Amino acid sequence: MKDSTNNRHALVISKEYPQANFTWILSVVLAGIFLWNSFPTNTKELNPFVFSLFCAYMVTAVFQLFITLKMKKDLLSTGEIHAGTRRLGYVQLASLLTGNIFAATFAFNLINKRKTPEYTFAVYMLLTQLAVIAISSVNLFKPYVSDTFLIAMASLLLITLFHLVALILSVRYVREYSAPRWMSVLAIFLMATAVTGNLFALLLGWSLFMKARRFDSSRLLKWNVMWEKITRNSTAVLGMFFILLMLAISITSRFTFDYALAVENNYGAILQTPSLEYPFGTDNFGRDVFSRIVFGARISLLVGFAATIVPGLIGGFLGAIAGYYSNRIDNWIMRLLDILYSIPGILLAIAIIAAFGANTVNLIIALSVGAIPTYARTMRANVLMVSNYDFVDSAKALGASDFSILFKQVVPNSLAPMIVKSTLTIGGAVIATSSLSYLGLGVEPHIPEWGNILKVGSTYLESNSYLAIFPGLAIILLVLSFNFLGDGLRDALDPKLD
Amino acid sequence: MALNVASLFQQSYKEAQGKIVLQVLLFLAGFPVHLVIYFIYLVRKKDQTRDTELNNIRSELSEKQCIAQWHSEYVDQLVRKRNFLQENTSDKEINKVAEKLADERVEKEIARRTEEYFTQKGIRKETYLVYFHTLLERPQFLLVTLLPGVLMYAILLLTSNPFLTYIAERLIQSVLVIIGVAILVFTILYISPFDPASNILGESATQEQITAFNQLHGLDLSYWQQLWNAIKGIATFDLGSSFAGNEDVATSIANKFPVTLTIALFSVIMAVVIAIPVGILSATRPNSFLDYSFMFIALIGLSIPNFWQGLIFILNFSIKLNWLPATYSPSNHLSMIMPVVVLGTALTASIARMMRSSLLEIIHEDYIITARAKGLSKGQMLWKHAVGNAMIPVITVIGLLFGGMLGGAAVTEKVFNIRGIGSYIVDKQFIPDIPAIMGGVVYIAITISLVNLLIDILYAFLDPRIRSKINQS
Repeated sequence: MKDSTNNRHALVISKEYPQANFTWILSVVLAGIFLWNSFPTNTKELNPFVFSLFCAYMVTAVFQLFITLKMKKDLLSTGEIHAGTRRLGYVQLASLLTGNIFAATFAFNLINKRKTPEYTFAVYMLLTQLAVIAISSVNLFKPYVSDTFLIAMASLLLITLFHLVALILSVRYVREYSAPRWMSVLAIFLMATAVTGNLFALLLGWSLFMKARRFDSSRLLKWNVMWEKITRNSTAVLGMFFILLMLAISITSRFTFDYALAVENNYGAILQTPSLEYPFGTDNFGRDVFSRIVFGARISLLVGFAATIVPGLIGGFLGAIAGYYSNRIDNWIMRLLDILYSIPGILLAIAIIAAFGANTVNLIIALSVGAIPTYARTMRANVLMVSNYDFVDSAKALGASDFSILFKQVVPNSLAPMIVKSTLTIGGAVIATSSLSYLGLGVEPHIPEWGNILKVGSTYLESNSYLAIFPGLAIILLVLSFNFLGDGLRDALDPKLD
Repeated sequence: MALNVASLFQQSYKEAQGKIVLQVLLFLAGFPVHLVIYFIYLVRKKDQTRDTELNNIRSELSEKQCIAQWHSEYVDQLVRKRNFLQENTSDKEINKVAEKLADERVEKEIARRTEEYFTQKGIRKETYLVYFHTLLERPQFLLVTLLPGVLMYAILLLTSNPFLTYIAERLIQSVLVIIGVAILVFTILYISPFDPASNILGESATQEQITAFNQLHGLDLSYWQQLWNAIKGIATFDLGSSFAGNEDVATSIANKFPVTLTIALFSVIMAVVIAIPVGILSATRPNSFLDYSFMFIALIGLSIPNFWQGLIFILNFSIKLNWLPATYSPSNHLSMIMPVVVLGTALTASIARMMRSSLLEIIHEDYIITARAKGLSKGQMLWKHAVGNAMIPVITVIGLLFGGMLGGAAVTEKVFNIRGIGSYIVDKQFIPDIPAIMGGVVYIAITISLVNLLIDILYAFLDPRIRSKINQS
């Protein structure tokens, strides 16, 4: 009797089991979407490509369900997952070929029983690299490619091989708190490959470096615990994966994609439906929508990050001062910020853009100004809390000046909620950017930006609806990723939940 | 009765001491009364005892060598501090600091002793404020000064009741914020590098035409004059005519505002009706399949851009299925469904998430465990003790998000071709039509402030925690 309750407990605390459920449900949903789209409404014919995707996803889902049931049986009978079940993960790795990233990450998770943060980083680093190559290789079907395409692809492939080696090595040699000394060389090379935008390589490299150089164990413990908390939340890691993938794409697209395809008019190929050559079709000027969306990621990320960092710094500074110094300063700053706070962000942005014109820099300024009060409030609340702690009193007793206490002791200790807040609001900034572009108030119309592409798409809604659907999906995926990551960070960093 | 009122005024007058802003306000409001009473006070004042007593104590202190003793004490302390911290301060500096400290202590000591002396003798410090305070006790004085001092009495009445004070403070705050908004928006539009005159009249306009245009719309006035006109216009609902089309801005806004407000209101109702039950269901079954699915859907709802959702709705429900009209018309109620759903989606998602986390937090409070321990069923516990308390932060969030929704309505209005205030502002921004943009933005900010003010005041009455907080302060 006691045994079975223990095993039930094992089912609840198992990290893999919820992810297994999540994976098969999502695979079924995706398969359903493919099935729905394999019968276009205007022509009653079956679309063979989409239908085969449906079949592949359905097979994955069924196999995934089988694994899940087997895991449940294992956990209930013995309290742990059998090695045989874990080996099924190798079979499930094949789902990577269909692009089912959920099943692939689950398979990687299942295969390895002993999960260090390095293993997770290495897996996602490899997956990011593979995804970048897959997206870039779509260009092979184009009539021509950019001059740097071949070199760029070759170096991407080499880096991928290197990442694969790093994955295998870190599975073999890295222990919870230590790694062989020679790995610091590997770590430095890994960090160097992060210039492709694959920041998982940077994380892995830094983590290996810390362990190989035998950093202070309390620091390693903190690092391990933090990442374990974040990676336990599979949606948060998937969010992070997609964001970093977008980042890597925006950097590598400079070399692997041809900008001319995205901006130059090609009257020979106007309003083409999706095909191998033009995966998402072409718009009313014959521009390739797929390339436009890939290049649009750059703008969305740039504006999203800039419109978060700028108000984060200004608002954080004001909030810190308001929270730390006297009541009078606090009152003045917060009352003035109340004025900004009472105008809805989008309206304030419209007013600022009306006054100074629509372009990317003004857009960033306009979005930043409206976001300052939110950050100031978050920072102020934290500073108020932290400045009552004992270490602040100690610093005072040691004779440190107010300014240095504030910025050396108080602010670093109240950053966690700011990071969570900014992750959650980047998504909002991305939506605001595309909304304003859609209204004609954001990025200049000739620049490929998701809102601009949608604006064109909205005029061809009846005849060429794909023009409006794909950029919208890109926006949703990016925003959803930021929201998932933000939720995961909040759960991991919130001391209340410890 | 009259005595009660008098003591009420006296009490709140006493409490006003120490609050400088309030004192100045009271003085200004009761200026005619103070003028007369001060004159009477001067005539009556013959009290010199206080000053002589002060001088007595001072000379007594210096005779006893107290001052010199304190000074040497301070020097000693400072020298030890210097040695301990190993600072480089000269003796001269230390002497100076010690002197200052000693002086401060003397002043304090004198004040303390005089106070002691007077309380012993039963004599009160006779100042104008005290004199006025004693006058307030008399009902006859109240009757005589009621008319000239009516403003002052109104303020005293407000400050006598913590609730009234709170409401008055919030009202004043809102008015100040709205004036701030008006100044901010006007300044942004004023420093704009664009020239409305040449935008409207075209490249070929002569200098005379431009001057005439600027004169007509008051654009040749100074910054302060234009700002004053703008604020006055907002307060009196007379914003003049728009630059293009020569229509009355206030009338256009009055025509368009109700459209936006109706849609926003229906969105809020939809959001509350859907999100609150969803939040409660999720919170009572945390980490279940239902909870995960609801929260997943809610997060997707938060991530969908309004305009894309609108386009997809039009594509599916208007073009493909032909169930609902693609554009809004006030006479057709069916055409309102899609805009309301689109505008309310993000709000629904936020409220559901907020409700879930707020209820989860409450369910783990001690008093809920107590409620369960005394034998309440889960349902009773939930509905009687948990949901009501969990709603408090949720309603605040609804108030705050309502503002964001009014602001974001511009995008939805453009998608469904609704002639609301949001699309009005967007249409006018290309010129830029200063009175129209200014009016639109400021009136929306006013609406939002009013909604939040209403919610705050409602709380002051409904939430016992806020009530006790107000009473304490």
